[in-house]
Amino acid sequence: MRVLVVEDEKKTASFVRKALQAEGFAVDVCHNGDDALAAARATPFDGIVLDIMLPGRDGLSVLRQLRERKNATPILLLSARGEVNERVEGLNAGADDYLSKPFELAELVARVRALTRRSGENKSIVLRVADLTLDTVTHRAQRGGTDIELTAREYRLLEFLMHPAGRLCGRMMILEKVWDYDFDPGTNLVDVYVKRLREKVDADFEPKLLHTVRGAGYVLKEPA
Amino acid sequence: MTIRTRLTLWYAGVLTVFLLVIGVGTYREIDEQLRHAHRRAPTEHALSETSEMVFEVGLPAVVLGLLGGWWLTRKALTPVSNLTDAITKVHERNLREPLPRTGSGDEFDRLTEVFNAMLARLDDSFNRIREFTLHASHELKTPLTILCGETETMLRDESLSAAERDRAASLLDELRRLARIVDGLTLLARADAGQVALKLETIRLDELVRDNFADTQILAEPQGIRVELTVGAEITARGDRHRLRQLLLNLADNAVKYNQPQGRVTMGLQRNGDMAELVIANTGPGIPMESMPRIFDRFYRGDPAHGTEVDGCGLGLSIAKWIVSAHHGTIQIESVPDKITTVTVRLPLDVK
Repeated sequence: MRVLVVEDEKKTASFVRKALQAEGFAVDVCHNGDDALAAARATPFDGIVLDIMLPGRDGLSVLRQLRERKNATPILLLSARGEVNERVEGLNAGADDYLSKPFELAELVARVRALTRRSGENKSIVLRVADLTLDTVTHRAQRGGTDIELTAREYRLLEFLMHPAGRLCGRMMILEKVWDYDFDPGTNLVDVYVKRLREKVDADFEPKLLHTVRGAGYVLKEPA
Repeated sequence: MTIRTRLTLWYAGVLTVFLLVIGVGTYREIDEQLRHAHRRAPTEHALSETSEMVFEVGLPAVVLGLLGGWWLTRKALTPVSNLTDAITKVHERNLREPLPRTGSGDEFDRLTEVFNAMLARLDDSFNRIREFTLHASHELKTPLTILCGETETMLRDESLSAAERDRAASLLDELRRLARIVDGLTLLARADAGQVALKLETIRLDELVRDNFADTQILAEPQGIRVELTVGAEITARGDRHRLRQLLLNLADNAVKYNQPQGRVTMGLQRNGDMAELVIANTGPGIPMESMPRIFDRFYRGDPAHGTEVDGCGLGLSIAKWIVSAHHGTIQIESVPDKITTVTVRLPLDVK
């Protein structure tokens, strides 16, 4: 998987590159919009991380140019402004995702992975991690053959964590996808819900599947 | 005493003195003429004639003069009362609207002109402060992004000891808190500058409140706080779904945070006239009387001895108030310390 990172702030570009490389991505970096357009023309990328505020040609303009040229590479927009209008404008212009600064690195990586994987995503009806299964049609959850009762919210949380399994999920990402909050409410809502879910899914079973990654978020996976 | 009364009394005094002078003059004149005609002194006759003149002509003249004076001063001072009314309506948000000028070029018109110029200067200063906050919060985001990113990169470093990792994680927690503060500040600064547009749609408030109730229960569970809900029939309003959910979560979160172990939170939504009335009440230490006037102020923390251990960004209620005002509603907080704190939000119903 090859990703292009377009970010004029050198330090930000650097740690984003490192984090993506650590996840096995090949990463190219551009510091302005014109270089980005040239790079995207020369190389078929699997995904582009595009900062909106760039010197000269800005990110939205790069995005429009790419889409006009029928370049359908999945694009994740980054913005320091974090305005709702900008998000809507970006998505309307053909972006696939939007993340406001400052972001969680884990979040960015997870989103890039989701972006690049989108086409070939496993669309199975029954999600499975170890002996935990979740039927996305009947909403039935089972662990080791025992039924687990879930509220609607707990179901959505579990589905998000299992889909795809082993992905690190940041708090903001969970808030956005499970609660549809586009702001950080500064509550421990996610932590409390994950704790409850853990009691239902993990407490009476071995091995433990739902893990906290301090400073980053949560991951649901079978221990290696 | 108003200027108008004072001027009218002055005017009346002047008229009376004037009348007396004329009376005395007339008396002398008539007396002399009579003396000439009869070579005697029929003082009594002159006196009665004079007083007749004074009462029949002079007095009505004084009364007319008084009325005229009153009318004149009123006319002259109307611009002042108009100015007073207009100035009463001036506040930080409408500094750009100048006071109405009469255009006559007189002293009052000049006063209005000078006052308008002062308003414009004030508006300029306010704008500069707002812009400063807006720019400051934007400028803070780039270094914050780097700090968060670098700290997270550090956390991923396998060679770190557990203690170092703990320190980095704690650093990251604080950085995220800082990021939330900057986010809140940006939102308020942009709202001040009129740059935040609500995405209005018809919203089932009762559903939002029910949804929020479920989350509040979960938030309250660890402290053994009981949450109760009373919601009537379907209540709809026009509003911005995200902002209203933010408002509800914010208030519910406060009700849980500033509570006591085994405490209680009650939430209610009902129709009250043409308003939807949301009431969230909680047990707990409450808000001391002297803090009340300032609880909606940005970063206001109240008595430093209270609630410092509670984590928050210090902007929650300011944001809540902005959301409510943007929806043309009102928010009100009452508190009986150590008993109950009640937040009442009224939002206009969606009248079809």
